[in-house]
Amino acid sequence: MVGKNCVAIASDKRLGMQAMTISTEFPKVFPATERTYYGLAGLATDVQTMSELLRFKVNMYKMREERTIQPKTFAHMLSSTLYERRFGPYFTEPVVAGLDDKNRPFICAMDLIGCINFAKDFVVCGTASPNLYGMCESLWEPDLEPEDLFETISQALISAVDRDALSGWGAVVHVITPERVVTRTLKTRQAVCLC
Amino acid sequence: MNSFVERFSSGSDLLSTHRKGLLAGEPELAGRWDAADEYAMPQFDLPHCADPIAFLQRQTDDSLAEDCRIKIQHGTTTLAFKFAEGIIVAVDSRATAGAYISTQSVKKVIEINPYLLGTMAGGAADCSYWERELGRRCRLYQLRNKERISVAAASKILSNIVYSYKGMGLSMGTMITGWDKSGPGLFYVDSDGTRLKGSIFSVGSGSTFAYGVMDSGYDYDMSVADAIELGRRSIYHATHRDAYSGGVVNVYHVKQEGWEFKGRTDVTDLHYEYQDQAKSMHVPAYTLH
Amino acid sequence: MSSKLAGGFSFDNHVRNAALQQKGLTLPKAVKTGTTIAGVIFKDGIVLGADTRATEGPIVADKNCEKIHYLAPNMYCCGAGTAADTEFTTALIASQLELHRLTTGRESRAVTAMTMLKQMLFKYQGHIGAALVLGGYDCTGPQLFTIYPHGSTDKLPYVTMGSGSLAAMAVFEAGWKRDMERQEAIDLVRAAIESGIFNDLGSGSNVDICVIEKGKHEMLRNYARPNERGQKERSYRFARGTTDVLQTSVRSLVTVVEGDQMDTSS
Repeated sequence: MVGKNCVAIASDKRLGMQAMTISTEFPKVFPATERTYYGLAGLATDVQTMSELLRFKVNMYKMREERTIQPKTFAHMLSSTLYERRFGPYFTEPVVAGLDDKNRPFICAMDLIGCINFAKDFVVCGTASPNLYGMCESLWEPDLEPEDLFETISQALISAVDRDALSGWGAVVHVITPERVVTRTLKTRQAVCLC
Repeated sequence: MNSFVERFSSGSDLLSTHRKGLLAGEPELAGRWDAADEYAMPQFDLPHCADPIAFLQRQTDDSLAEDCRIKIQHGTTTLAFKFAEGIIVAVDSRATAGAYISTQSVKKVIEINPYLLGTMAGGAADCSYWERELGRRCRLYQLRNKERISVAAASKILSNIVYSYKGMGLSMGTMITGWDKSGPGLFYVDSDGTRLKGSIFSVGSGSTFAYGVMDSGYDYDMSVADAIELGRRSIYHATHRDAYSGGVVNVYHVKQEGWEFKGRTDVTDLHYEYQDQAKSMHVPAYTLH
Repeated sequence: MSSKLAGGFSFDNHVRNAALQQKGLTLPKAVKTGTTIAGVIFKDGIVLGADTRATEGPIVADKNCEKIHYLAPNMYCCGAGTAADTEFTTALIASQLELHRLTTGRESRAVTAMTMLKQMLFKYQGHIGAALVLGGYDCTGPQLFTIYPHGSTDKLPYVTMGSGSLAAMAVFEAGWKRDMERQEAIDLVRAAIESGIFNDLGSGSNVDICVIEKGKHEMLRNYARPNERGQKERSYRFARGTTDVLQTSVRSLVTVVEGDQMDTSS
């Protein structure tokens, strides 16, 4: 979700095999750079393979170009990586959120073969995406401050996830601003607290 | 219109003609009309085709046919167990349509009468309709025989009904519990026609998880409070691991004087309650040397 | 490591995916553009038009996507079908055309692009689901083609493609004239796309227009916006502190300001 000079990215923490919950501490949102984060929804094995592959590619970019990758560049890299496997795709639907070098917000989502959906407001993906579309469409408004953006994205996620059997069991929200990245874990239905 | 005129034109014995008219086409039954006979078996129209069973199976069984038209909600966790002071029945309350949670407040314990309880797993409509029908039969039995039906007989009525519709798409996994002359009774009945007598059952997609907790904590001689807690905890753990179970836990206690509702608890509240308990409990930590 | 120097598609996961599918895993759907795209030739150029809806099954994934893709400065291409395929196919051909121009030192011709596209799509036997409307102005004048996913092509004075093609074609059949004026052509294409937007459920949102004439082109993004969303009656902003937080961690970022170069003289 885009806010005023900030972006937020959120996900639940469940890993399941069909109906059975395997883990409630499964990371789905990863940092690509300091101020670019991406989330991967879909098949767990591909989520992990993709995140490792992207870590490799981001590091290679950094060494070759001697600068950190911009969110838009990262999105296109991710998109090309997915489209390379057009006829044998990884089952992941990525979401990218970050601030570019001018601190302008950038978000986008992709399908599993890399069709980018650039949006100025919000993007969603995963099993709860129909629910999330409904929540975001009604809750989101332009120019939210980081604190308000956090409440909006959290409430949208919680409400959507509460109506999806295959999501939930805790949630994590990252709010990215030019100064800092604030990561919060939410108290949702059946979140596991490690503190 | 003619038949209507005919019926009332004779003038004499208006009452019996009237009754005959009501039961037109039926044998003369006036005076010994029996509701139990009349409604012995509710009749449902079957599809007019060569093999209605195969046809219905195609439309209802999503494990056999990809594009089955009639989707039935499946996810549930229900359990019941006997112990020294009766029977505990505990259920979750979630209903799903695919991955979508349609409601978190289903009553999955069906109160058949003050002495009989049925649980609901599989098709909600099938369970509630047939268990209501079962309640009616049990009442007729009581009126005719001047005593309450046994749990064994009640569960057999249900299993006979569903067996006659075998393969036509009924979907139910239910436990019939109650108290009769022989004491507490607990039977498992499902839409395949299976009917089992037992002392511990769990039914539904979360049943394996519930069994794990229930079996490890079960003791025949436990107190009522402990038994209720065991039922609640078993359902909670099932809702934690099974995506298609959730909402609240409803607990019932079946006693000699009939069943008693023992309350509903949100599983989220239970979750945080149990988490706090675990923290305050002293757990001996393993040390590595 | 599968990031090899050789280009082309990777089929690494294909066998695994087929096995997973057989085991009953439901696969996520790719974004398709149930689309209305159209083009006409007018007196001195081409007008291309497209709607801006991208769908994922019954869900509108993008309400304002771009379906008119760049091929060359004198050539643009509308895409319908699998969104990723139209995006990448046109990008690939655009890059080949660029190289071709650098080699030959001449402006690209529409037929060249059309041939490259049809040869690529035919090679993939329809598995690349791209249905395209190609418009360009080259040394032979205004050119308009349609290219189907299996590699067949048409060359016509007015064309439509996508799920809304019937609605759009109805407008063209009723309103098309030979040698139209520029504005006349734009209005006709706009009407055709709007007909798709309103009558075809796969198409929606706004109208994008692209006019290509000799030596120039004009991209009219969101030329018409017939589906503007109404103002929300109230705000659903939550009071701060509504959400229960279990844990918070902060990662402070340091902004590096470019300073003077380090003095290395001594």
